[in-house]
Order: sequence, then C-alpha cells, then structure tokens
Amino acid sequence: MSDVDAARGLAGSALAALESARRRIDDLNVYPVPDGDTGTNLTLTARGIVESLDATETTSRAELTHAVTRAALMSARGNSGVILSQIVRGAAESLGEAGAIDAAAVAAALRGAGDAAYRAVRKPVEGTMLTVVRETAEAAERLAADGPPVGELLRQLVDAAEQSVERTPQLLEVLRESGVVDAGGAGLAEILRGVAAFVTGEPLPEAPAYEGEIGLDAVHQELSQFRYCTTFLVEGEHLDQYALERELEPLGDCLLVVGDPSVLKVHVHTDDPGAALSHGVARGTLESIEIANMHRQTAQREERLSDSLGVDKACEAVAVVTGAGIRRLFEELGAGQLVEGGPTMNPSAQELVDAIERAPAPEAILLPNNVNVIMSAEQAARHASKPVRVIPTRSLQEGLAALVAFDGTRSAEANLAEIFGALETVATGAVTVSSRDAEPNGVPVRKGDWLGLVDGEAIAAAQEFEAVARAVLERLLEEPRAVVTVLTGEDAPSLDALRGWLQSEHPEVELDVEEGGQPHYPLLLSAE
Amino acid sequence: MTYVSSKPVVDAPTHSTPLGRITISREAIAQIVGRTAAECYGVVGMAARGPVAKLPWRDRATQGVAVTTVDRGVRIDLHVVVEYGLNLAEVGNSIRARVGYEVERLTKLSVAAVEVHIDDVKESK
Repeated sequence: MSDVDAARGLAGSALAALESARRRIDDLNVYPVPDGDTGTNLTLTARGIVESLDATETTSRAELTHAVTRAALMSARGNSGVILSQIVRGAAESLGEAGAIDAAAVAAALRGAGDAAYRAVRKPVEGTMLTVVRETAEAAERLAADGPPVGELLRQLVDAAEQSVERTPQLLEVLRESGVVDAGGAGLAEILRGVAAFVTGEPLPEAPAYEGEIGLDAVHQELSQFRYCTTFLVEGEHLDQYALERELEPLGDCLLVVGDPSVLKVHVHTDDPGAALSHGVARGTLESIEIANMHRQTAQREERLSDSLGVDKACEAVAVVTGAGIRRLFEELGAGQLVEGGPTMNPSAQELVDAIERAPAPEAILLPNNVNVIMSAEQAARHASKPVRVIPTRSLQEGLAALVAFDGTRSAEANLAEIFGALETVATGAVTVSSRDAEPNGVPVRKGDWLGLVDGEAIAAAQEFEAVARAVLERLLEEPRAVVTVLTGEDAPSLDALRGWLQSEHPEVELDVEEGGQPHYPLLLSAE
Repeated sequence: MTYVSSKPVVDAPTHSTPLGRITISREAIAQIVGRTAAECYGVVGMAARGPVAKLPWRDRATQGVAVTTVDRGVRIDLHVVVEYGLNLAEVGNSIRARVGYEVERLTKLSVAAVEVHIDDVKESK
C-alpha cells in the first residue's frame, strides 16, 4: 500500500470512529467551557484532514507530511481541534522521517505527538487530551520494547488510552464535579480505535447506542446570557456590513456580520430576535432565517447528562410562577420544574402532581408562592408517588428567598432548616391597584387607588403611587436591611423618584430591580 | 440589573446578592484572567504592553491583562504570545470563550467583552 493510501485509510477510519461517537463526546464536554461541541469540533477537524488527503496526488512522504500538517492547521475547530492539529503534526513529522513503520516507529510517533501537544501551552492542564496523549505515548514505549506487531500494539494502546481517559476525573476537578471523563481525551481514544481497526483490518466496533438527540446547529453555540440564537441572510445591493453591525450590537452578544455588499450573513444571540430581523429587513431581503432557543437546548442537554451519567439530584424544587421574568429568575436559581400559575395563581393539584412526577429526582420540595395555592400544594404532596415537602411560601418573593437556600444535592428533609432560616430573614411587600372600594385591615381604600401590602396585610392606600411605595419601603426597612429586591410587574410605573428617595433616606441599602413581568402587582418587594 | 447609576461612580465592578454587595477589584479579575489565559491551549506567553506592564514589580500573572468597567459589565483585554503553527483564529476564540466563562463563573460579574490580542507568535523547541 502506498503511503498516501495508508494515510487516507488511517484518517478515514479515525474519522468514522469519531463520527459514531460525536454526540457522546459532545455531551461529555465541560472543560474548558461547557459548550458541548468537543465531538463536533474533533469530527470537523478530522474531516478537513480526510478531504485534503482525498485531494492530494503526492507520492513523496515529506510532501504528505506537509499536506496533513497543513490540513490539520487549516481545519482545526475549537480548542480540542487545535490540540488535535498539534498531535497530528507531531505524529506526522515523526512518521515522515521514519523508515519502516514498526512498533518502535509508532511509539516514536506518539511521543512526537505528545511533545508537540505540550509544547504549545505555557501551563498544561492535566486530566485533558494532553494527559491522554502523553500516557498513551508512555504505554507505547513500554509495549514497543518487545517488538510486537503494529496491529497488536495499537490494540493494546486503545486499552491504554481508555484507561487514561478513565483517570482524567482524578486529575481535573471540574470533571469530577460533573461526573464525566474528559471529552477531548475520549475523542483521542476513538481516533486510536479507528487507527487500530484500519491497521488490523477489523471492522470498527459498533458504537454503543446513544439516546441523546440534538441537532448539529445546537452545538456550536457558546454560552450566552441571551435566549435566542438568531441567524439570517440579508440580500440586497450596497449592503453596509459595518452599519448593520452597529445597529445589531446593542441587541445581544456573539454578533457576527460577514459577507459582501450583495449578501450578508448575520449571527447574533439576543432576547429580541424580532428587532434583529427588523434591522435586516430595513436593508434588504431576508433569507434562511433560523431562530433557536438556546436555553431550552442547554436544559435538554443537561437533562440528558444527568440521565445518562447518573449525576444524581437528591431533590428537585417545584415552583408555581407567573410572569416571564419571574420564571427566568426561578430557573436561574435552580427550580427544576415550574408550573404556570396564570394571572390568578391557581394551578390545580393535578398540575402540581404532574410536575412533581416529571422531576427527575427521587424527592421534591414544592413552593406554592401564594397563600391560596398552599392547600392544593399539600394535597398534591399527599398524592405524589415520591416524598414531597411543601414550603408554605406565601409570595413569589418568599419563593425566591427559599430557592436561594435550596441545595438540590441534599434530601428534601435536609433542606428544610436552611430554607426556613432564610424565610425568617426576609420581609415581603407589594404594591397593587385596588379593584374595589374596601377597608382591608382597617385601611380605607377606593377602587383604582394604589394599595400597599406588607407580609400580606394592607398598610397604606392612596392615589399617588409614590406615597404608597414609600410607605411599603418604610415598613420593610423598620429593621436594618442590606438589600431590597424589587420585581417590576406589567405596567410598573417609573421607579426613578423612588430610587432617588431610597438613596437619600437609606443610602446603606442596596436596591436590586429585576423585571418580573407578573400581572396584577406592579411591584413585588422583598427586604433582607 | 442593579441600578448602578443611582450610586456614586464606583471604579470596581460590583454586584449585589441577597446577602449584600460584593466588590471585586480589577486587580483580582486580572489575576483570574492571567491564570486562566496561561492554561489556554496555544498560549506560550503574555505580552508586555506599554511602560506600566513592563515595570518590574508588576505581578507576572497579570502581565498583558487589562480590566476595565464598561456599561454592560467588565471588559477584558489580553495580549498573548501564541505557539507558531497553530490556527490563530481558533486559538483566539478558545481563549475568549474560556476567559469569559471563567471570569463569569468565579465572579458572577457580567463580562461585556473579551478582546484577545495575539501580539506575537513564537516557535518553542
């Protein structure tokens, strides 16, 4: 077999092994950034090498080495792809100078790969691809001493690489915490498996069935605080790339505008894809619009990870919420299952039971977040098939405070002390508009008046928002407090005056305003 | 989403938690950036920029790192030397993603931008 045919065979078989394991490797990816693309990046890098080998006509080994090295450099994708390009370069340069390819030449090639890989980083991190290539090279040197056939050596090296991969969590804490092995290292073991299969002439072992399902488009995304990955083409004449870039800049992050004056490709992560499209349509015709919800993709991936890798959650938090911003806050604080309470906050007990059953953990805590929901919550807890503790949170703010103290790795029971402790330190208030004439708690109030509540009791009513909001704040700040959190609801008035007042009267208090989006309560407040 | 504008101008990046306010100095962030960057694949050194960075008492870990506060969070500039023969665009992307991720993970501050400047390439032997 000619050198170029051998190189094509090796690269093709390595690529096939990577492709069959791509998704599993994607899901292992937590380091250096948990963006779930290591398998895809390694596959694309290997594909670039295969394509360049398909195109080459050379018979010279030196030229072949150069072509492979160059293709690896050009097609390197992502961090793992860059490391792979160095590994390929080190191995190719060593093989290029070798005579017959025997066990000693294989060991030398792996040593060359390891040395090249380590050379390109100031502080190598162990427990990564680097460790796996080095340890495999060390195993190769040991095993090659007896001069085994190359196929036999490679078979043993696949085992050595797999054992090295298994050890990566001992070396890198983030892997241990996440309950995974290193993704890049696992990819390297697959590459060796492909190489060994080609040399021994054995078919590639079937990749174990993998249940995960995620589109290729989903994995390129970087972590973003924004929800929608938005891509589209703008077609037109004299398109100004930089002007469009400037318009899109404030909308989000990971912005990319590329192309020429007749067609521009736009990629942006934003919470408002509509605004991004409007800027595009103002300049030309839109094509190939794709909008993907990255938060859902991330959640799906995490779910698969916790399912497939047994990252055990002892307890899940189930919460009743209303309002888009509130929902996001609960998600961010780690509530696993959310039940939409709707404007009136009255989900059925069955909806609560369903949410509890959906939670992947063996136990749950339930946050009703409304006085009127506590009873249905207790009913749901009795009907659920797993142990559930109801935390009788009377408001969304109390629910948030409870979540801050919640730790999903501990049982429901073990969480109670912390949560109740946290609830004791928080006082809550609200500003709403009265829907009728009444005299709650001895406070006369007319329909349409602003009404202030503290811990569920009416304490002030007036026609001016400012007066009522101030009264609520005064009451909340009777005890010394460090932070006031304000959740603004639908139709919340401007808070500028209130902010100025708080700043001058209580300069020691930090004001944190979050968009809650809840109905009926323009302001929900909590003080800690 | 804290109303930073309502407070006196603070030089150091700040954010509030349910338990109080946390201020993280730019120097502390620069330390994180420097250490993280040194571990990024492809980075073989940090470039010294300008007279200040070259002063001998400057901490080596923060050499080539500048941290500034901007409207939407912190902006990080880092000047690196990358190994010759690597795909510079991909190395730059990886550094940007890793540094941004690590700073956000460790400080919970919002990172508005990570500008990676590859000032030099060099061949290690």
